[in-house]
Amino acid sequence: MAIMRINVGPIHPGTHGVLRLVVDVDGDTIKQVEPHIGFLHRGVEKLMETRMYMQNPSYTEKLDYIAPLSWDDLYVNSVEKALGVPVKEPALYERVILLEFQRIASHLLWLGTFVNDIGQLFTAFMWCFRERARILKLLEDVSGGRMFYVNLRLGGFNKNPPADFADRCHALADYLEQRIAEYPDMLDSNSVFMERTKGVGVLKKDDAIAAGVSGPVLRASGVEEDARKSHPYYVYDKMKFRAPVKTNGDCYDRYRVRYEEMLESISIIRQAVDMMPSGDAKGMPIRLIGPIAKPDTVIMQEEMPRGEGVIYMVPDKQRPYRISLRSPAFINLSVLPKISEGYRFADLFSIVGSLDVIFAEIDR
Amino acid sequence: MEDEEIGAPYTKAQFLNAEQEMSMLTEQSLKPYGKEYAPAMFSRLSDIARIKMKDIIKWGRSNSLWPLQFGLACCAMELMDFGAARIDAERKGYLLFRGTPRQCDVMIVAGWVTKSVAPKVKRLYEQMSKPSYVIAYGECATSGGPWWESYNIIKGIDQVLPVDIYVAGCPPRPENLFGALMKLQERIRGKIAGYTTRGLSENLRRAEIEGI
Repeated sequence: MAIMRINVGPIHPGTHGVLRLVVDVDGDTIKQVEPHIGFLHRGVEKLMETRMYMQNPSYTEKLDYIAPLSWDDLYVNSVEKALGVPVKEPALYERVILLEFQRIASHLLWLGTFVNDIGQLFTAFMWCFRERARILKLLEDVSGGRMFYVNLRLGGFNKNPPADFADRCHALADYLEQRIAEYPDMLDSNSVFMERTKGVGVLKKDDAIAAGVSGPVLRASGVEEDARKSHPYYVYDKMKFRAPVKTNGDCYDRYRVRYEEMLESISIIRQAVDMMPSGDAKGMPIRLIGPIAKPDTVIMQEEMPRGEGVIYMVPDKQRPYRISLRSPAFINLSVLPKISEGYRFADLFSIVGSLDVIFAEIDR
Repeated sequence: MEDEEIGAPYTKAQFLNAEQEMSMLTEQSLKPYGKEYAPAMFSRLSDIARIKMKDIIKWGRSNSLWPLQFGLACCAMELMDFGAARIDAERKGYLLFRGTPRQCDVMIVAGWVTKSVAPKVKRLYEQMSKPSYVIAYGECATSGGPWWESYNIIKGIDQVLPVDIYVAGCPPRPENLFGALMKLQERIRGKIAGYTTRGLSENLRRAEIEGI
């Protein structure tokens, strides 16, 4: 049969943003996929060079709008390293708690939209957003913003956590654990969900390492690599948790890895809340002229919901001279042509969905 | 001229025929009971229809706003929350998000518009059935927002499309979108502050001038 070329996107409900895919199909079988990106490019790295250090978090938050705190935290962490500002002890624990809540919120949103994409319409979507709304409410009460928080300051936070912070975290963790336990009943016994994820989009271990993917996509292919364990930052080395690993590397395993990560995050939150010392968590206020940075180059990596993000920063005195971002979603998207070859055209959207891509971060 | 005013698929002649037919039928059905038939009711109905047709169309349009399922950046997350468990826009009838522009009335531009996406957004707008309405949701769609100094950003979607409602915030809360859609309904009905022409939405005014 003749090969047909199909254009998907750039504005398409199935592509989770602004992605254009040029797909060559033979009948219903995918021969080749060519992703076209860059539709959201706005030159963040260049804009960040024109701002003072602590003006930039509002740019870094918009890199990953599903988990804004993750990039924000990585940037502030690297600025703290460049300026040599120590983080206060309670703030270390509070950051870990908020980051893990953010990770759960991100995975919940991913799960809701992913399941929606592959035809199990709206039940799981509503369930996931019900839980996510609780998390956003907590983050809003802690920081003051519903979606973009901008609450990180050098050495701590813009304000101290509310008085009942520990109780609320425990209550929310209990609620989430109870609700998340209901999901496998709905998904793993659903034949449509299983047929469309199991054995679809297989990424082999060697290919995953060669392509440089990270995060849940890498761990679903059988590689145990987690920046929280291999390069511990904050107080992750004091926490007891494991990085879930699966071996098949298909869409179902990527779902399982993210699902188990949510449970691990809940256990990290409980440990961190119990270990959190009382005290002042306020950081330095933002001033026109801040502390002066050391001239050493800074490289920081953190485990984000989508993978390992890296910031390479050459500091100037009051602003970054050059800043370069390694986006995990960009590298994860690069394996799409490889893993979607040979599957049906309808499977393309399970595969794109399972990679969990964010275009603001990919295009920068 | 009067025929056009009635609008809809009926001409005035068809209207009158239907009226005559109806009055004949009613007359026949009333005969066995010895009652008299007064045709005033139907003539009044046609008068009312002629006068009120425009208002009825506006009322109908304002109560069936189908948004286009289309998100560009951050604000699209709040757009999803708008349809999800906490806000549940379906209870007000706003949530019939469609994947194709041909079935939609409202385009909610959620996110920054780059130079490469702007032609595509404009094409989507042109494919929508007229009259169609545009909501600029968030700072980026309103004015460029934090990317004002960027070299690749359209500073506000109103440079490309006619915008009816601007929603402020970065990102605006889903409740604000609720408010914006209710305001759009009011504007489609032409009900704001006594200024009927100024109260009309931008797109509807264009539609009336161009006779769509």
